[in-house]
Amino acid sequence: MSFVPGQPVTAVVQRIEIQKLCQGENLILGFSIGGGIDQDPGQNPFSEDKSDKGIYVTRITPGGPAEVAGLRIGDKIMQVNGWDMTMVTHDQARKKLTKKREDVVRLLITRKSLEEAVKHSKGSHPRQ
Amino acid sequence: MQDSDIQKKIDHEIRMRDGACKLLAACSQRDQALEAAKSLQTCSTRIMAYMSELQRMKEAQVMQNVPRRSSDAGPMDDRLPCKGKVAISDLRIPLMWKDTEYFKNKGELHRCAVFCLLQLGGEIFDTDMVIVDRTLTDICFDNTIVFSEASPGFELRVELYSCCSEDDYSAGSTPRKLASKLSSSLGRSAGKKLRAAMEPGACSPVSNGGAAPLLLPVPSVPGPKYHLLAHTTLSLSHVQDSFRTHDLTISGNEECSYWLPLYGSMCCRLAAQPHCMTRQMMAGWLKVKQCGGDPKTWTKVYAVLKATSLSCYQRQEDVDANVEPALTIGINKETRIRASEKDPHGKGQNISISNRYGGEEVTHTLNTESREDTHSWMEAFWQHFYDMSQWKQCCDDLMKIELPSPRKPAPVTPKQGSLYHEMVFHPLLLQISISNIILDSLPESLDGIFLQHFSKCSYKEPARLTLEFEGSHNIFVICFLQCLLWHLANQNQSNTGEGLIRKWKSIISPITKWSRSECNSNTQHFNFNLRIQPPSSSLLAPHPASSHSPLSQRSTQTTLSCSSSTSSSSSSNSEGSHSPESSEGGPFSRPSPARRSLRNLRARLDPRNWLQSHV
Repeated sequence: MSFVPGQPVTAVVQRIEIQKLCQGENLILGFSIGGGIDQDPGQNPFSEDKSDKGIYVTRITPGGPAEVAGLRIGDKIMQVNGWDMTMVTHDQARKKLTKKREDVVRLLITRKSLEEAVKHSKGSHPRQ
Repeated sequence: MQDSDIQKKIDHEIRMRDGACKLLAACSQRDQALEAAKSLQTCSTRIMAYMSELQRMKEAQVMQNVPRRSSDAGPMDDRLPCKGKVAISDLRIPLMWKDTEYFKNKGELHRCAVFCLLQLGGEIFDTDMVIVDRTLTDICFDNTIVFSEASPGFELRVELYSCCSEDDYSAGSTPRKLASKLSSSLGRSAGKKLRAAMEPGACSPVSNGGAAPLLLPVPSVPGPKYHLLAHTTLSLSHVQDSFRTHDLTISGNEECSYWLPLYGSMCCRLAAQPHCMTRQMMAGWLKVKQCGGDPKTWTKVYAVLKATSLSCYQRQEDVDANVEPALTIGINKETRIRASEKDPHGKGQNISISNRYGGEEVTHTLNTESREDTHSWMEAFWQHFYDMSQWKQCCDDLMKIELPSPRKPAPVTPKQGSLYHEMVFHPLLLQISISNIILDSLPESLDGIFLQHFSKCSYKEPARLTLEFEGSHNIFVICFLQCLLWHLANQNQSNTGEGLIRKWKSIISPITKWSRSECNSNTQHFNFNLRIQPPSSSLLAPHPASSHSPLSQRSTQTTLSCSSSTSSSSSSNSEGSHSPESSEGGPFSRPSPARRSLRNLRARLDPRNWLQSHV
């Protein structure tokens, strides 16, 4: 899932829609993110390619809105409500997720298992 | 209804009304006054309804004595349709506030007390009273009202009464209100409002809610007076097994004090159960045979005519035992029933019942013991058909009517006139959470931090809180205290109509200096002075259940002064911004902005960290 500069990034993505949970004055999603173009990608335990500076899900609060919506630990977030997440700083990513006026976030995420699933299905139905 | 019955009812209502008047004159609290005024209005309306009923009966008696002309009577005129139960429930009246009023929530909250009077035949019922202000989008009444004896031509009159909940009508008006009224200059609209308040009847042409002429003078009692805001009349055509919207006729206008911006319609569920659907109309022994069958194959059954079928049971006991009937013959609008010629093989007449099932026509033949039985059965069938033709859609299927459960006592919510004028914390439950306690040795009884109750304190005086820690350990509280003030649930939770739960929050700025109290005993005392201020409108948000509240930067509302605190010998003199290790009170809470920004700063400065943010 690393990218070659100048080339389009392709990935098999899944749409996940998370309803924010109102907790007093805060709207909670229930997960933690790591990564960003200003962070050291070598420390990302979830990325395949250790030069990937994308935003990854590092922790999911059990029973929280993110888990309920289907987000899993290790997912890479490609878009949040249409905003790109592959080339953002950590703080920019956090801000896009925690906008107060929005009570739902629609994510495009990708994970290894999605790629595998597509490969397997392609293999069993060689129609292309 | 006999004359004497009505008279007894009138007397009863007059007594109730006198009681309501006395209560109204005696009570001082606004909600009591509103309830008493509602009873007064209900009693007055009932009295007028009974009196007009009495009048009608007297007129009918007079008419009966006049000999009727022969052309008046007729076989079908004598037939009366069966009565039934009519139930109205889930009343909801939408409001249409100006968006500036609803969203911005500015200005004084104009509140009205509303209730509905429902009248059918001679019965009048009232719903509970609901307080309405601009935070509500609909007026909802949870009551289910059931009228037991209604004829198919019924007219159910629904009237919405409203009364402004802010006028100062109690006998002893507080000088503050008077002062504010006098001090504010009387502009055109304010003047109109005052005038409207002083002459309640000026705005609405019908202030007694009834069309019948006033036969008894309504006693004028000082106090809140309800005015008719809207009304509508429902009849059989509005009956349906689901919710329907009906139009309201609105009386009054914007200048009236009791005005509410109604959308103009009302949703409710109006259901009817005619007796022919719920009761056995006819029952008896019959002999049944299917058409085309051998004349000798007559089966003797106990038949019951109810709702849309004639159920035939083998034994009479089966009816009550809820056993499945041996045979069910449908009786509906499409059924054709004929009495045939005398059966030469047996006595009595045959009745044939034909139904169409799909493309087929199925006929059952009944045979009774005697001519009289045949006649009674035919009569029952005709009556049943007539009932179904009169009750129309109510006879297609039995509509469910939920009987109102025995009235639960309303939760006692002493409504406060104004939170800002009359705050008595009685008693106050103060929850103190102490974060980041550094001890030289951890006492076992750390969780034995006692919550102190306050017996009584008003917001004008500072509240004293005493915390007692048992044990001989030195406790150094280095960080800040977060203090939550909760008004006791009973006193502060608004009723469901308002939908706002106001919580008092008192946020204490970080304590940086402590000194140990000089006391020889093993217990150490920490005394605080707490000044409580009413919340501003920005704090009107539901408070999280956790005991930590985000430390707001604008928490300058309360001042805290310590009378005694621990010694500052330890390194406790930090700026109070040490973030505790476990900052999350609950699984979902986010660390407070202050702590988070500090953490971010530190983390960002350290290039070795791979930052993680919780969202």
